[in-house]
Amino acid sequence: MINDIARRLWLSVFRVGWPRTRQTRVEAMLSSFVLHVHPTWVRVHALRPTYTLGLGLVSFYLFLVLTVTGLALMLYYVPHPDAAYRSMKDLEYAVTFGMFLRNAHRWAAHGMVAVVFLHMCRVFLTGAYKAPREFNWVVGVLLLLLTLALSFTGYLLPWDQLAYWAITVGTAIVAYFPVLGPQVRYLLLGGHEIGAAALLRFYVLHCLVLPLAMAFLVALHFWRVRKDGGLSAPPGRLHRRVLAWPHLVFRELLVLVLVLVVIHAAALLFDAPLEEIADATRTPNPAKAPWYFLGLQELVRYGAIFGGVVVPTGLVLALLLLPYLDTHPRGVGVWFAPERRTANAVFVAIALAVVAVTIVGTFFRGPNWAWVWPW
Amino acid sequence: MVAAGTTGLVAGALGLLGALARSVVPDVLYEPPRRFPVGRPGDFPPASATFVSERRLFVFNTPEGFYAISAVCTHLGCNVNHEVGKGFACPCHGSTFEEDGRVRKGPAAWPLPRFSMSLSRRGELVVDTRRTVGADFRLKA
Repeated sequence: MINDIARRLWLSVFRVGWPRTRQTRVEAMLSSFVLHVHPTWVRVHALRPTYTLGLGLVSFYLFLVLTVTGLALMLYYVPHPDAAYRSMKDLEYAVTFGMFLRNAHRWAAHGMVAVVFLHMCRVFLTGAYKAPREFNWVVGVLLLLLTLALSFTGYLLPWDQLAYWAITVGTAIVAYFPVLGPQVRYLLLGGHEIGAAALLRFYVLHCLVLPLAMAFLVALHFWRVRKDGGLSAPPGRLHRRVLAWPHLVFRELLVLVLVLVVIHAAALLFDAPLEEIADATRTPNPAKAPWYFLGLQELVRYGAIFGGVVVPTGLVLALLLLPYLDTHPRGVGVWFAPERRTANAVFVAIALAVVAVTIVGTFFRGPNWAWVWPW
Repeated sequence: MVAAGTTGLVAGALGLLGALARSVVPDVLYEPPRRFPVGRPGDFPPASATFVSERRLFVFNTPEGFYAISAVCTHLGCNVNHEVGKGFACPCHGSTFEEDGRVRKGPAAWPLPRFSMSLSRRGELVVDTRRTVGADFRLKA
């Protein structure tokens, strides 16, 4: 009786029993809302961890972790200058697991910036942006920008010195953009300075506008992976295919376990920083932007127009146009294809330069932005 | 029919989106006033530079009179530090400025602005950050 009800309940939800036969394994992928993001059969090539490094998947999992932990933090966080910092202290000291959730949110956010960047490097170095995947590369670039925007808007919310001055520097860079820069900054801040209006705007962007945009573009990104013929692979070769259930689904779950373990470990071992409450009268020395913008801050030292406008705009435009400029069809589906030696060399050089200036800005810059050795 | 429907759709969308776009431009700012008193002349010792932290500016008292220089670095908006006789230094990106506010070393491209000052009827020094003045400006008080 109970068994029968349980069985009917299961079937009403999933339509098929636990997938054991080839028939039910195919049906499971087709009939499940969540699983039908995948095809029923996948190329073995796409499953090789050394090909994808699982970076896109990890980015998505980190986004899920950020959504869940972010929702929990929203129950305590108050986006007003009088209360924001106090609610951070509450999360640290007066909420059970509050610090843990904040740590997890912080480290997952930093991790996501890094992993999305690495995912982009993987896609470039395997030539996976070439036809028919040009547009999905563009969507990916937008997702990278959204990730940075989410991280940046979240950075202000703790309302501590770190947050306040990082956003001071960041929004001042915005104002350097020709013609519309100052107006965009005014809109972003809802005024001339970083106050209550700015905090509320950053909060709404961080908790609602940008995550919704992210969710939409992630869905589009995944859908296009399917529509563009699955993950990129060397053309012309006969590809062996295996059933997505269990080969793909269980590998994905394994990656999820790894991500969760790492996030738990990081959140338990390392506390997210919280400095003194934001004080517009006292600039810390040195005042640093979030680490992923420290490359920008380092460049801005050599000239705000050059570092804050020319270089980032040039990089983003180059990334967006890349698949339409590079029409050479060969070298797809393998790492460091010999046909792509020049393209890969240029990309690696630029990526290393980005990493290098970021490292310099993070570790080698001390008071008054003078050179210091980190040891 | 199609034309009427399209017109209605476009007009409806434009109305909503236009209202949304306009509404995010604030009409009223709940910010500190941009013209404010900073204290009485006697609060500033002769031949001194005082950092008025809550207003992010320096008030100089010289034998020729008072003047105010912004403490907000023209590069990216950090507060500059002042050392008497040595000028200003920004902690964010290392810009330095001469004692009179001119750029000594970049990345800042513009000098620290000087603000108009006046004496209120109550005898207080009043700074107006909406009005910048030249290097020769002095307020006798």
